[in-house]
Amino acid sequence: MRLPNYQQQLKGRYAALGVVVIVVLGLLLARLWSMQVLNGVAYAKQADKNLTREVTTAAPRGRILDSQGKELVTNRATMAVYVDASAKGDSALLGRLATALNIPLADVVSRASDVREQALAPRIVAVDVPMAAVAYISENSVLFPGVEVRAQPVRVYPMGMLAAHVLGYIGEASQSDIANAGSTAYQYGDLVGKSGAEVQFENVLQGVRGSNVYQVDATGKIQSLIKQVDAVAGKDVQLTIDSAVQAVTEQALAQAIDDAHKSGFPAAKAGAAVAINVKTGEIISMASLPTYDPSLFLGGISEKNWTALTSKDSNYPLTNRVIMGQYPAASTFKAVVGLAGLEDKMLNTGTTYNCKGVWTEMGEQWKKYCWNHAGHGVESFTTAIRDSCDIYFYHLGYLFYNDGGEKLQAFARKFGFGQKSGIDLPGEAVGRVPDAAWKAAYNQNYPEYQGWNPGDTVNLAIGQGDLLVTPLQLVNAYAGIANGGKVMKPHILKAVLGADGKAVYEYKPEVAFDTGTSAENLAAMKAALVSVTRSGGTAYDAFKGFPVTVAGKTGTAEVAGIDDYAWFVGFAPADNPTYAVAVLVEQGGHGGSIAGPAARQIFAALLNLKIEHVTATDVSR
Amino acid sequence: MTRVNERPRLWFVNWPLVVVSILLLAAGSVMVQSATSGMTGGSALFQRQLLGIGLGGVFMIGAWAFDYRKFQGWTGPLLILDALLILSPKIPGLGSTVNGATSWLAIGGIRLFQPSEPAKIVTILVLASVIASHKGSIDKPSDVFKLVGILAVPLGLILVQPDLGTGMVFVAIAAGMLLIGGLKPRWFAILGISAALLVGALFGLNSVLDKALGKDVLIKQYQIDRLMVFVDETRDPLGAGYNLKQAKIAIGSGEFSGKGLGSSTQTNLRFLPNPHTDFIFAVTAEEFGFFGVIVLLGLYLALLVASLSISASSRDLFGSLIAAGLIAMWIFQVLENIGMQIGLMPITGIPLPFMSFGSSFMVTNMFGIGLLLSVWTRRQGIPGI
Repeated sequence: MRLPNYQQQLKGRYAALGVVVIVVLGLLLARLWSMQVLNGVAYAKQADKNLTREVTTAAPRGRILDSQGKELVTNRATMAVYVDASAKGDSALLGRLATALNIPLADVVSRASDVREQALAPRIVAVDVPMAAVAYISENSVLFPGVEVRAQPVRVYPMGMLAAHVLGYIGEASQSDIANAGSTAYQYGDLVGKSGAEVQFENVLQGVRGSNVYQVDATGKIQSLIKQVDAVAGKDVQLTIDSAVQAVTEQALAQAIDDAHKSGFPAAKAGAAVAINVKTGEIISMASLPTYDPSLFLGGISEKNWTALTSKDSNYPLTNRVIMGQYPAASTFKAVVGLAGLEDKMLNTGTTYNCKGVWTEMGEQWKKYCWNHAGHGVESFTTAIRDSCDIYFYHLGYLFYNDGGEKLQAFARKFGFGQKSGIDLPGEAVGRVPDAAWKAAYNQNYPEYQGWNPGDTVNLAIGQGDLLVTPLQLVNAYAGIANGGKVMKPHILKAVLGADGKAVYEYKPEVAFDTGTSAENLAAMKAALVSVTRSGGTAYDAFKGFPVTVAGKTGTAEVAGIDDYAWFVGFAPADNPTYAVAVLVEQGGHGGSIAGPAARQIFAALLNLKIEHVTATDVSR
Repeated sequence: MTRVNERPRLWFVNWPLVVVSILLLAAGSVMVQSATSGMTGGSALFQRQLLGIGLGGVFMIGAWAFDYRKFQGWTGPLLILDALLILSPKIPGLGSTVNGATSWLAIGGIRLFQPSEPAKIVTILVLASVIASHKGSIDKPSDVFKLVGILAVPLGLILVQPDLGTGMVFVAIAAGMLLIGGLKPRWFAILGISAALLVGALFGLNSVLDKALGKDVLIKQYQIDRLMVFVDETRDPLGAGYNLKQAKIAIGSGEFSGKGLGSSTQTNLRFLPNPHTDFIFAVTAEEFGFFGVIVLLGLYLALLVASLSISASSRDLFGSLIAAGLIAMWIFQVLENIGMQIGLMPITGIPLPFMSFGSSFMVTNMFGIGLLLSVWTRRQGIPGI
């Protein structure tokens, strides 16, 4: 009854099932061979990456020191809380964060949704977070997704707002900072220089990030520290700025604005002052008003503060007016024009001209007035500078015009006007020395205004018209006069210091413009500039009783529709010039009464003299 | 005839099957111990695994001692038992839901076992009983439809649970048994194509309905993603895609010689989910490398070859079919479990025979070994047993 040999009938079917078994196991084995033997190394790398997380640590930025080695900017370590960019819509999370950090929710929201920086970077919500809050956030990380606490060195400004424009401020690296970082590798959230010395010397100040490699589990929880590479701090930068002189410069400028208010110029709100070593080009002090507090930028500036610093009402405190402000030079330019006249032999030191208060050489219909409508009478080369006589210089300008060429402009350019000085600070303005080509181009849509007229050169001769200078260009030109015709390249970098405090780089003075002016003519101009601060000069009041002889020039710039700008620029000691100083007060009135006394205080600081605040009168222009 | 009777009784035991089973159980125990050692309550899990093996041993010996032939002809009662087993978790108060599938039998909140596991064995017995009655040749459409109808009962019930993985095992078991049971090749083609068309139609209908109603109707999108992850890891990056990625890293990083027992970083640092259950193979491959994989697959080969030889030497078709069903079950589970971890198969939660943690599963597999031993011991030419 048994099936006869039915196994025999099924043999083929067992074979088929056996083949299925072999094929399945063979397929698995082949795939496993490919994964484990052929590509095992690649998977092992992935496994290693799985297990480890690299957390980089920020390197402290280098300090910024003054010329005496005093700290202008330094660091301290603090804890900062970052929140992922995607968290800005998570109001529950931001609410918990505000509670944990004990700061207003509105601040957290505004920082988390900060739009100034790139879209994906984590936002700094708070710096200087107390350890208790740090611990709470770390322990309850489930409640704070996307929130990160990092140890972070924070900039400290031991001297407060001193030299804010020179130092500049820092901020989070932007997308373009990261893209254009060059040798420095940035990460989102890194702090980088944004203006001033901070950005100028970024590659020196920025250190090298450290890295900690941790073993982590699947939830990202740290199991152990595998590798640690310490961050390398950035190098210190020593500036040519002398903090003591800087402080006096800032006070003097503020006082000048105050003086302007008292003498009937209530619109005076802004100004610039700069002191330079004429022999080396070192900037010893540089002040710009209004100023700002660089510490506002720590931990990311709030939108409210940013708006306040950039609105029109604020008078643009972020602008460094010494290098960025462009103004008519007014009578301070007469020193350059006078020298040009001597060098180009339009006149000599004996040339006199009778100032009757009104000047009609270009014709009655084009008559021009001296600031002194009564007339100065017969003016020599020296007294024309001393009295700041406009008519003497109208005449000289007319001579240049009739000469046919553009010798006056060419001479001005030799002293650095109309071009950048090359100072080691970002954002320097070019200024403008007007000439026929410029005027034609500028008025390309107004053919009737394209021609260069005698009045253009005549206006230029008293530093008005279309001339624009920066306070730095002006102080450089005077420093050049003081320094035998050589204009040194202005700079704020003195040295770069290594970790041991020794200089790894020292700035070597460079000539920026060698004007080739004759010593004889320079001596004549110096004598004329000295007379300005002497009895009868426009700055006599300002420098009365000053124990060191100062050579200088006042200026009162006319700007259409608003109050005059007050200038003083000069150098001292006159017999062995070391320092040049320029002071400008926007809408401050007269140079001799407003800018001169400020310059006196700055000179006093430079020369270690008693710093006195004097009040002076001056009606010249 | 007398010569046969004089043979020692031990000769009636299929020693290769016993040895390979013991080796697989040992390997499984070692790996479960390794995978659970870093977990909270890991040693309790390991003890439960050993308990499962002990319980499985009891069932194995019971099945061996029992004359399997007595099951033949119990088609009706077995089918009812099958349906009851599969349906039992659905009975209010008896079911417990784990990972979205109501597949556990629980009383008073205490989970007892997964009835779908013993249902596999019952299904094998049901099908063996029915197929054996066709005496090795199935060609009549009415016979085919009857068989499909009988298979449709457990398969349909398991799919509504939903437990796609176990459903696929049932299909594989049926295919293996029909192969040995004599289903004509053209019927394999017809049934295969019909199944493919049915699945295609289901998915087509699903997408039409989803679009028309603007929501997931029949099949949830996440279910499709989970299934299709082996084609494209990014489809379910936080779920199945993550699991697959971590399993592949574990396996690949084992390289040739492995990281050593207990040194699976993927497990110890919890990158690998469920390392003691569905992903036990990844732990093994990471700790013992390709070398260990060859040994493990070699053990499965030995298990399946021994089973095949038992199937081939059975005194009756019923015994052959039981063995064929077990072979099909194991080879499919090995293919699906390892295949899903190396990106060859869709990800469904099917454990690895004798290796994965789980008592219901262990008891079922060991009961299968007992059935094979029963078939072997009572094979043709050994009278009186």
